[in-house]
Amino acid sequence: MVGNKAAATACKLARVQVASAFPITPQTTITQYLSEMYARGEWDFDFVNVEGELTSQVVVQGASRVGARTFTCTSGPGLLYMHHPMQVTGSGRLPVIMAVVHRGYKGMQPDHSDLMSQQWTGWGHQYVEHAQEILDSLLMAYKVAEDPRVRIPIAVGYDGYVLSYTAEPVEIPDQAVVDEWLPPNKPMPSILPDEVDPSTFGRGWGGGDPQMPWKTHHDAIMGMEDVQKEIMDSFEKTFGRRYGNGMIEEYRMDEADVAIIAMGTIAGTCKAAVDKMQADGKKVGLIKLRSYIPFPNKDFQEWAKKVDGFAVVDRSICPGKGGPVYMKLRDALYDQEEKTATLQFHAGLGGKEVRVHDFKMVGDKILKAAKGEKVEKITWV
Amino acid sequence: MHGRGGQGAVTASRIIATAAYEEGTYSQAIPMYGTERRGAPLTAFVRLDDVRVRERELVHTPDISIVLDPLIAKQQAVVDNLKPGGLVILNTAHKPEEVELGGDFKVATIDATTIALETLGRPITNTAILGAFAKITGLLKLESIEKAILKYFPGRLGEMNIAAVRRSYEEASDPIQAVVTKAPAEKVDIHVGGYGVLKDVSSWRLLTPEIDVDTCIGCKNCWIFCPETAIEWDEDTMKPSIRYNACKGCGLCANECPVDAIEMVRVEA
Repeated sequence: MVGNKAAATACKLARVQVASAFPITPQTTITQYLSEMYARGEWDFDFVNVEGELTSQVVVQGASRVGARTFTCTSGPGLLYMHHPMQVTGSGRLPVIMAVVHRGYKGMQPDHSDLMSQQWTGWGHQYVEHAQEILDSLLMAYKVAEDPRVRIPIAVGYDGYVLSYTAEPVEIPDQAVVDEWLPPNKPMPSILPDEVDPSTFGRGWGGGDPQMPWKTHHDAIMGMEDVQKEIMDSFEKTFGRRYGNGMIEEYRMDEADVAIIAMGTIAGTCKAAVDKMQADGKKVGLIKLRSYIPFPNKDFQEWAKKVDGFAVVDRSICPGKGGPVYMKLRDALYDQEEKTATLQFHAGLGGKEVRVHDFKMVGDKILKAAKGEKVEKITWV
Repeated sequence: MHGRGGQGAVTASRIIATAAYEEGTYSQAIPMYGTERRGAPLTAFVRLDDVRVRERELVHTPDISIVLDPLIAKQQAVVDNLKPGGLVILNTAHKPEEVELGGDFKVATIDATTIALETLGRPITNTAILGAFAKITGLLKLESIEKAILKYFPGRLGEMNIAAVRRSYEEASDPIQAVVTKAPAEKVDIHVGGYGVLKDVSSWRLLTPEIDVDTCIGCKNCWIFCPETAIEWDEDTMKPSIRYNACKGCGLCANECPVDAIEMVRVEA
């Protein structure tokens, strides 16, 4: 099945109660699959057709407020159009789950610039590699988002075309097992300390301190890390699959001297490259970053003690600043006693294909840098 | 796998991947997408492997090249990146000995357009080449392909497509070593992109519209519906004419004409 069908199938398995979406390439077929499932009456849910993404976000927001399990999805410019209501979903601590099928905004092909542009909306952000991981991650996202310790919306991002429209084998878990593992969402009207007046829908609380809502929101997202790790363990126990610790997924790091850090589909290509490099005796491994928000600071601080170099391959760039993963990694490593070499690579922007030999070049450069040789810090692949 | 928008190359790649899955092999069907447009040349790729496919780059040096379109089948680009000793399966009415593509590869031909026109009534050649693929490569069983087809086309449409696959399986003959050993120096870019108003898309055309101006009642429907603005309108005579450089042969004009004044004529490949 293709990536988008894996996403629609996850909605069915999770028994989503309200779905709303506006079609945009390369997300379109999710809305088509959901419409077909609705027409066939595959399960009991409402599918709300809307006139734009701003509305689809508001529809699931409202449904989530009254306790429904909700799903929406979009791509690139559609996500930007959702920007305003996304803030409200985050501030309202509503466990909405959204699939973001990456489409860059300097063209239609995928890069991560769409979801990266929504960092300030107060959602959890995940990036996944293949169709099975889409299905599994969406199921886990519901369990994390609806956990009483979290209550934060989560966006699960995956690359358009090369994943959304690519067919590959996907194992579909048994509905009864999913039902037991993921019980229905429980409405939590009291998640916000809204003692002023419940009808304000989360505005105006904080005991007179306007910073309080921000701090509460931030603390809740920082707390997601432990819950994500815990739910990864529980997912493996029930379904037999796991993706590292939920925050990062290491690939052949046991013998590695240096690590390449990548997200999304290019991490899969990187795995193929790591196999080839290790066969050639080059000690390069992969740390696939799954959770960008919250960022796995602790994991990278631990890995920094074990490896001599990190090569960050960013598939998005904030013009004038740089690659977001690279910046965040350097921030996480600043207080380390020993410095680890880091290199920045810009790759796959505007949908540019990233190939196995590109990752071999990345591996060679970071191996050199780890030995203290002089290598340019920033490379456009 | 080379084809055109509307010929079903993406679906064919998915049918192969699904059939492989039915046989317990790991597979990946990865299309190269641009702006969706009927008639535009496009490429889809399939990987079959004993282990889960990790890489997600496109296939740059294939073992097998399958060409769904008889006009694209004339272009050297469809074999240029084949691994030495690879295989190309062409949709063409020509015999393998008559193929003018050059290099070190094996070549097999099948007249999938005729099979498709006779079994499906449309020149959608994706399933009509899969039978030949199964027989020539031996990589997949015919039953697995039929099973996969029913997943994508349930009911009567599935039966029609299975008929196309079976006929192509029967008509396929063994590949031969390419007669021409060297690639021609002159090459054409296979991906003629851009819009019809800007570029010549006549090479996309399998069926060519011909207007019978005496039958034409001057209703302007063809002019309104042409997606490529290939129809010129003469305000004096109130009759259309076709700019054939801009016509991709989609047949919308013939479909919309209320008096059947436009006929789609097959251009022999």
